[in-house]
Amino acid sequence: MSEAAPPKLREAPELAASFLADLTQEFASSLDIDETLKNAIDRFMVHLDAEAASIFLLEDDDTTLVCRECAGPVDIRGLRLAADQGIVGQTVARVEPRIVRDVAEDASFAAKVDADSGFATRSILCVPLAVRGRCLGALELLNKRGGDGLFERNDLELASVVAAAAALAIHNARMAAALVEQERVRKELELARHIQESLLPPREGAEFAVHGVNIPAREVSGDFYDFMPLADGRVYFALADVSGKGMNAALLMAKTTSLLRCLAKSATSAGALLHEVNNEICERSTLGMFVTVVAGFLEPRSGQVELANAGHHPALLRGADGSLRSYAAGAPPLGVLADIDFPGERIALDGGTLYLYTDGISESISADGAELGVLGLSALFSDAAPLSAALRLDAVVAAWRAAGYRSHDDITLMLVEVPKADATRSEALNWRFTADAMQLKPMRERVRELGLASGWSDKLTGDLVLAINEACMNIIEHAYGPDNAGEIVLEILNNENEVEIVLTDFAAPIELDAIHGRALEDVRPGGLGTHFMSTIMDSLSYTHLATRPGNVLRMRKRLEKAATDC
Amino acid sequence: MSYQVQQESGYAIVCLSGDVDLSCSPEARKTILASLSRGQHTLVDLSAVSYIDSSGVASLVEGFQTARRKSLRFGLIGVSAAALGVLELARLDKVFPIHATLAARLEADG
Repeated sequence: MSEAAPPKLREAPELAASFLADLTQEFASSLDIDETLKNAIDRFMVHLDAEAASIFLLEDDDTTLVCRECAGPVDIRGLRLAADQGIVGQTVARVEPRIVRDVAEDASFAAKVDADSGFATRSILCVPLAVRGRCLGALELLNKRGGDGLFERNDLELASVVAAAAALAIHNARMAAALVEQERVRKELELARHIQESLLPPREGAEFAVHGVNIPAREVSGDFYDFMPLADGRVYFALADVSGKGMNAALLMAKTTSLLRCLAKSATSAGALLHEVNNEICERSTLGMFVTVVAGFLEPRSGQVELANAGHHPALLRGADGSLRSYAAGAPPLGVLADIDFPGERIALDGGTLYLYTDGISESISADGAELGVLGLSALFSDAAPLSAALRLDAVVAAWRAAGYRSHDDITLMLVEVPKADATRSEALNWRFTADAMQLKPMRERVRELGLASGWSDKLTGDLVLAINEACMNIIEHAYGPDNAGEIVLEILNNENEVEIVLTDFAAPIELDAIHGRALEDVRPGGLGTHFMSTIMDSLSYTHLATRPGNVLRMRKRLEKAATDC
Repeated sequence: MSYQVQQESGYAIVCLSGDVDLSCSPEARKTILASLSRGQHTLVDLSAVSYIDSSGVASLVEGFQTARRKSLRFGLIGVSAAALGVLELARLDKVFPIHATLAARLEADG
């Protein structure tokens, strides 16, 4: 033995302990496993007193063993074996260490490797690299240097400890790599979602004719809606559902929405628009993918809608009198058959509202397993009917959630109606203003004017002014805070026998449980506002906006019947 | 809102007028507390107040408490119907000494 040769571990237990401690430490702190294995393999060979050492890892769905690192006279890195081949294969398959003291006497030895590499194997020690029973590969040591040149039981025990540490390090490094990959995918999806959101039209105020909401089930959505006013005064609108989900659906969605939007500017009718877009999509279609669409044009002055439906759920017209009518598809979805006709339909809104939806909501399931259905959805539309068009769809989604419905699909809703000619007409108020204390006085004046026009008593007007003022103060001071003056939407509805006040803000959702008045015995400044509101009003309820950050406060006050006797 | 402060019969009289709401109640609060910090007995005249909200009421409550700590006299005079309605709603009409006029207050002081 030369002077440079290190002491044999089994002859010096304290050296074995320190070697193992170093090695495990190195493995535990390593995330670059290739580098670590490269550094470790020489030490394996030397300390375990072998002529060659190699690490084989399972790849290709565990069908192949590939030599990832080796030390010794022959470089076999990249060598591929079938997962059940040779001593390594047996070790991996059984997840048990093996000693072959003399390969000449063992039938399972893959002699071909020796023949190819020129290395003469006499004795093999092979231990599995396993973590929690799952085998990742094996550590193989060839030809013992000292003694009779054959491995023994002691060698096997040492190698097993080394292999356990190596296996854990490989496992951890793979987990870390998977996490990095997961994070990368998540970031890309988030980016895709932002791009997709930017394809949706901006939210419009109550004075606009078309409103929509989209709630993706995953990061990206296969649904979309779009609308825009055209130069001739008409308003284009469309709502669609792309078959499938995930990224491929999102990409087809992006293509379809761009085509529709671009061609809508020159299309003579909804049917002609869908005809053109269909041909474009069919020309370069991905097999089996299609798009169901309802698209149309509203003529706001006459309240006439011209509509075409390509394989989508029926459009629902809720008349001013509460009646319902549906308009079913007249043609198959886009992307199925080129050069087909999409019959158009003319609808007179007559003060009613046209609703479009995707099956994410109509086929959603309640906690007790019942499907919402078109009738259930129509009921939600009816309940929300008194609200302004700008907030109605949020209210529908909030009511849908509150009723315990859940969906695994994207949800998209859209409504089309002729905006009310005068949003400040005497029987109701719909006003958007900045959340600023200086806006409170003009707000109070508007409410007083409404009270006068609605024939409220002075006391009722004064009380409602105070309650609304306090609610606005809470929004200004607490929801938005000093550095963030967003908008407040105030709606007042003269319902039968009651006044309903709806205040919406777009601040971060408030903690609903944290709202409470204070005990009046406790004489101190502050906390009075909520007491005023709850004393004046018959009911108060807070909810969050369903589709964007924001809070809705709904307050109701019953109207006393005027006394008829003296 | 506008305000003025005048000295009469041993009182600083803070006279608020117009709408006392969130946009100006900090000023009303400052004026009332400044008077008290000068060690003056203080009355707040609400006869010209057309509207007061909870932030305005809170300023009055703070004045009332500060005066008690400093053993100064404090009260409201000439409370307008609009202001009284809000004080009643807060059940503070029984907490604050309220008099129709300065003369009535002086008489009550004895």
